[in-house]
Amino acid sequence: MKGSRFAFYPGCLVLQRMPEYELATRAVLQALGTELDLVQEAACCGSPVVESFTADWVHLAAYNLALVERMGHRTVVTVCGGCTNTLARASSALADPDLRREANRRLGALGLSVTGTVEVVHLLALLSGQEEELRARVVRPLSLRVAFTNPCQVFRPGEVMAPSGPVHSDSLRRLIELTGAQAVESGREDDCCGATLYLADPELALAVGRQRLLAAQAADGLLHACGNCRLLLHRFRRMIARDEPGLHRQALLLPQLLGLAMGLPPQDLGLPEGAWR
Amino acid sequence: MRRPEACLGCGLCVDVCPVERAGGRAFVSSLAGDEGEAQTGGAWSCTSCWQCQEACPAGVDIHTLMMEQRRREPAPEGYRRAFESVLRCGYALTVGPEVNGIRAARGLEPFELVPPGHVRMLLEKGDSL
Repeated sequence: MKGSRFAFYPGCLVLQRMPEYELATRAVLQALGTELDLVQEAACCGSPVVESFTADWVHLAAYNLALVERMGHRTVVTVCGGCTNTLARASSALADPDLRREANRRLGALGLSVTGTVEVVHLLALLSGQEEELRARVVRPLSLRVAFTNPCQVFRPGEVMAPSGPVHSDSLRRLIELTGAQAVESGREDDCCGATLYLADPELALAVGRQRLLAAQAADGLLHACGNCRLLLHRFRRMIARDEPGLHRQALLLPQLLGLAMGLPPQDLGLPEGAWR
Repeated sequence: MRRPEACLGCGLCVDVCPVERAGGRAFVSSLAGDEGEAQTGGAWSCTSCWQCQEACPAGVDIHTLMMEQRRREPAPEGYRRAFESVLRCGYALTVGPEVNGIRAARGLEPFELVPPGHVRMLLEKGDSL
């Protein structure tokens, strides 16, 4: 991966609420010799909203993929499960020549075109392919107990998501453990955080999220590898467990955990000085 | 809606659903119901985890059926607002030029927003640009 350049699709959660996720992602990948080029003029991925209203959702996703192609990139890195899933499913769907023709008719008006050959790779999949390189760069092994939630949309549906990289159900646990931290498993790691549900039923979504916080009780902190998980389980934690401060745990993003173990400065990872020492 | 022909009624989709486990009623309950028919509801109560689809031994495309059902129903307020936001500014969460202040504070390069009109054009048959 050293010397690689990939496109980077931030998604609206990162743009609006989580610049630290992009910052830490760039810092860790730069340390591995990889640069990210921001997909300028990218629009919403569509997840899960646009598809709920129109079968034409795929043309919005195709626009984002066409921007990546215009940059000359063949791979786009994503950090949110919803963006990854939606863009990867669109890329797969564009193998249908009729759908691709219609997408290109619409994109033509914008001076764009799409072939549907862009590979959509979530950060977890990218880093899982670099375990040895990462392990060699750990200079400050972490003595933390870390609970985690697998970013569900990065893994499923398997027939679309599996070909996108060496991502499998123990990817996140393996990355945690190579930092020296202890992965605290509750058996609920594959349960969704509930973020998408929040749009339809906030009360039920917070109940689902509470189950995730309960499952993290034995850990020092909760690791996220998706903007949606971060949003519900960290930003909304006071709504989930307003009167239960004992349920609150520090939150860390996947690249922040790796960056700390690699000895990167906390400010380069969007963390306060002295965090997690 | 009717139970899909391929559905075995085994209920595995319901067993793995985090919404059902939290006490909610999800789309899979309607789909795999005992009568094989129309209990509606739950089409929007979904965490997008795809576990039902992966668990189905008959290969029913639950996701597509759920999305088709959603398009026949009124949307919950959260979804409706998010879709309006996509049409208005191009993003489900309202994103505007202010994000570049947030990015600059972190030393991140400015982001160029999707040009106005692009999203509507892409979603409305591509004829209105």
